[in-house]
Amino acid sequence: MSISSISTAYLNTALLPSVNQAQSQLATLEVEASTGQYADLGLQLGSQSGYELSLRSQDDLLQSMTAANGVTKTNLAASTSALTSIQSSAQSTAATLVTWTAGSNSPSTLQNYGQNGLQQLIALGNTTSGDAYVFGGQNTGVAPLDDFYASPTSTAKSAVDSAFQTYFGFSTSSPQVANITAPQMQDFLSGPFAAQFQGANWTSNWSTASSVNTSTQIAPGQTVETSTNANTAGFQQLAQGYSMLSEFGNIGLSSGAEQALAGAAIGVINKGSSSITNAQASLGSVQGEITSADDQMSAQMTLLQTSLGNLDSVNAAKVSTELTTLTTQLQTAYQLTSQLHSLNLAQYLPT
Amino acid sequence: MSLASAFNIINGSFSAIAAQSATISNNVANANTAGYSRQVANVSTDPFGGVTVYSVTREADDALSAQLNTANSDSAAQNAISSGLTTLAQTISDSASATTSTGSQQNGDSPSAMLGNFVSAMTTYEADPNNPAAAQAAVAAAGDVASSLNAGAKAVTQVRTQADQQIGQAVTQVNSLLGQFQTVNDSIISGLANGSNVGSLEDKRDSLVTQIAQQIGVGTSTSSNGSMSIYTDSGAMLFQNTAATLTFTPSGQLGPNATGNQVYVNGTPITGSGSGSSIQSGAIAGLTQLRDTIAPQYQSQLDQIAGNLISAFQETDQSTTNTGLPPQAGLFTNATSESVPSSGNFTGLASSIAINANVDPTQGGNATLLRDGGISDTTDTNYTYNTSGDAGYTGRLQQLVSALQTPTSFAASAGLGASSSISAFAQNSVSWLQGANSQASTNATYQSSLQSQASSALSNATGVNLDTELTNMLTIESSYTASAKLLTTANSMLDAIINAV
Repeated sequence: MSISSISTAYLNTALLPSVNQAQSQLATLEVEASTGQYADLGLQLGSQSGYELSLRSQDDLLQSMTAANGVTKTNLAASTSALTSIQSSAQSTAATLVTWTAGSNSPSTLQNYGQNGLQQLIALGNTTSGDAYVFGGQNTGVAPLDDFYASPTSTAKSAVDSAFQTYFGFSTSSPQVANITAPQMQDFLSGPFAAQFQGANWTSNWSTASSVNTSTQIAPGQTVETSTNANTAGFQQLAQGYSMLSEFGNIGLSSGAEQALAGAAIGVINKGSSSITNAQASLGSVQGEITSADDQMSAQMTLLQTSLGNLDSVNAAKVSTELTTLTTQLQTAYQLTSQLHSLNLAQYLPT
Repeated sequence: MSLASAFNIINGSFSAIAAQSATISNNVANANTAGYSRQVANVSTDPFGGVTVYSVTREADDALSAQLNTANSDSAAQNAISSGLTTLAQTISDSASATTSTGSQQNGDSPSAMLGNFVSAMTTYEADPNNPAAAQAAVAAAGDVASSLNAGAKAVTQVRTQADQQIGQAVTQVNSLLGQFQTVNDSIISGLANGSNVGSLEDKRDSLVTQIAQQIGVGTSTSSNGSMSIYTDSGAMLFQNTAATLTFTPSGQLGPNATGNQVYVNGTPITGSGSGSSIQSGAIAGLTQLRDTIAPQYQSQLDQIAGNLISAFQETDQSTTNTGLPPQAGLFTNATSESVPSSGNFTGLASSIAINANVDPTQGGNATLLRDGGISDTTDTNYTYNTSGDAGYTGRLQQLVSALQTPTSFAASAGLGASSSISAFAQNSVSWLQGANSQASTNATYQSSLQSQASSALSNATGVNLDTELTNMLTIESSYTASAKLLTTANSMLDAIINAV
């Protein structure tokens, strides 16, 4: 046969492949039009699939980091507000103490100041956020400060009592207390008593907190310490100041010794108050870091979403145009098929 | 010339017309038979006057037939590869990436996506380390990583086993086709020898070659006696007067370590890299490539991910006295022992990797061990990282997350570079698979359109056009009418003479 020959079988079936193709394309386009994404992403992206996955897991990671930062921020807010209360009550105690004078004011007020302050310090030191004790350092599972006034006598209180006993040779309830001079009292307070609030004495008698702070990754590659703990100077100094008032304020000291006690307490409480302010400042800077990390991550996520959209999203206008074109093409194919079938010499021959 | 000879000529004309009509009828009847070649009644003048049909030939086109066979072979090979890769890619199901009704983004089920989820879960846990729910979520995410590797390895085994079975079926089919070919070929030789019409037999023989070509790429040559020889595209003889026998032993289940058997023709291998005459196209070639090259490479990538995960999460001796205890498998294990595999021994780990029962709450374990360490041996405190027992300890978690992102070495045989982080390697593996899948799908589409073009070209060249046949029929009808008229005329002339006598 010549070049221009065509077989009837081919003529009758010529449009079949194109109808099939159009129909399968139609199915694909319908999915794409309804989801806005490629019907088979892997097939579409091919070797770019891994890149697309890396963008998506980066996006997921940033999302979970932002969510995790929410937890951290709540913890930090709880810490900061506790520290604010501790600091303001320390300040007001110090201010009131300044006006206290031995002889004209009652020694029991001194004791009350101490007791109230210490109770509040312990309560706030055991602040929780969620299940975590925020001042526990890494040891967030255990209340960091024991109740000083607990019964049976707490280890902290017995340690303080025994330090007194060792230094003076008699207990706080002994009448000999009245004989303690102001310099003796000062020596005791700055020596053996102060040692109770430092190092191993503090961690074994007063606090179960870990000196290691929790550290958290707040953004990819950026790990910061996100807590302060009850083993820091502020807590130790305030505990020292409050407990000296609570334990020795109303035991029958001489006026001179009492005045020395109040003076020492003012000094230590003021120091504690400023240490707490420092801790607040460092927590505040962490909060700032988290906020800026969040901002940065949110900007990054917007970028990632845009890139992802460019990769997996179909152009809606293009899809709908293609759909229309395909529909027209299919209709044409159907019409042609029926026309071709009637285009047959046998139809035109006389019977 | 006598009036009687006019009767002879008219008679000859009638038989020629009958023969031509028979051919046309045959053509019309087979107008829509696939593979039918149009037959032509060759007419010539009789030496004694008149017309005669001296032969019926078949409009064959060997070049186009060969082209169609090649197109069939290539298309079958690509289809085999493409469908295998599609099965593998289904384990990734990356296409299920649409945002779900709950608003969470699904990233498919690839190990890479699962690793991404795992890192996110670890990050959440790290920010809230005393939250047991976060620990359980992280362990569950780790379980998903392990099961996605298991699923991938299972799919590889399935694809390879299936390919092996399909090779077996293809070999059986080729042997049976070669047997039929022999019968048809013999009939053609004897038919040609005694001059009968062998057109339909030749159609049958061509269709057998086409069917063989789908399994093995072949070439053909025809000798002077009409006998056809078939040889593979690599030159191995499949049929020359007698049929060769293909042999193949199916392997059953093809696990990560197993290699499948090759196909032999009369004892010579025609598949496999070791064979000098390995076939290039046809389903068998595609299936062999899938079974022996493509799927094992993906298997090796999964094994590399699994092996490196086990060793990245291994636990080392934390005791201060440093008693020199060996590292033990931590969160991820090979499901049977606490030993850490060496980098040369990763084969098969993707199918066995599991999370340690000690840390898995669903198996009675303690998820918090993820934070504290000591997963490998809950009774041996030498492997505990959180020695102080603090609920807010995050050191180990940070170490683990960074281990996933630190470059480690990978076997070059996996084909994804020798050094990258586990996360990046897993992403590259997805790229590799989807890239191969997309490529194979494009190739298969391309080959299938080539095949359909070759098939329509052949159909147009050798097929039947009804209009042509009808036109010929009309011509024959007219000549039949004319011959009949001649017969009546000659008859009346004869009658006139007889009446005159």
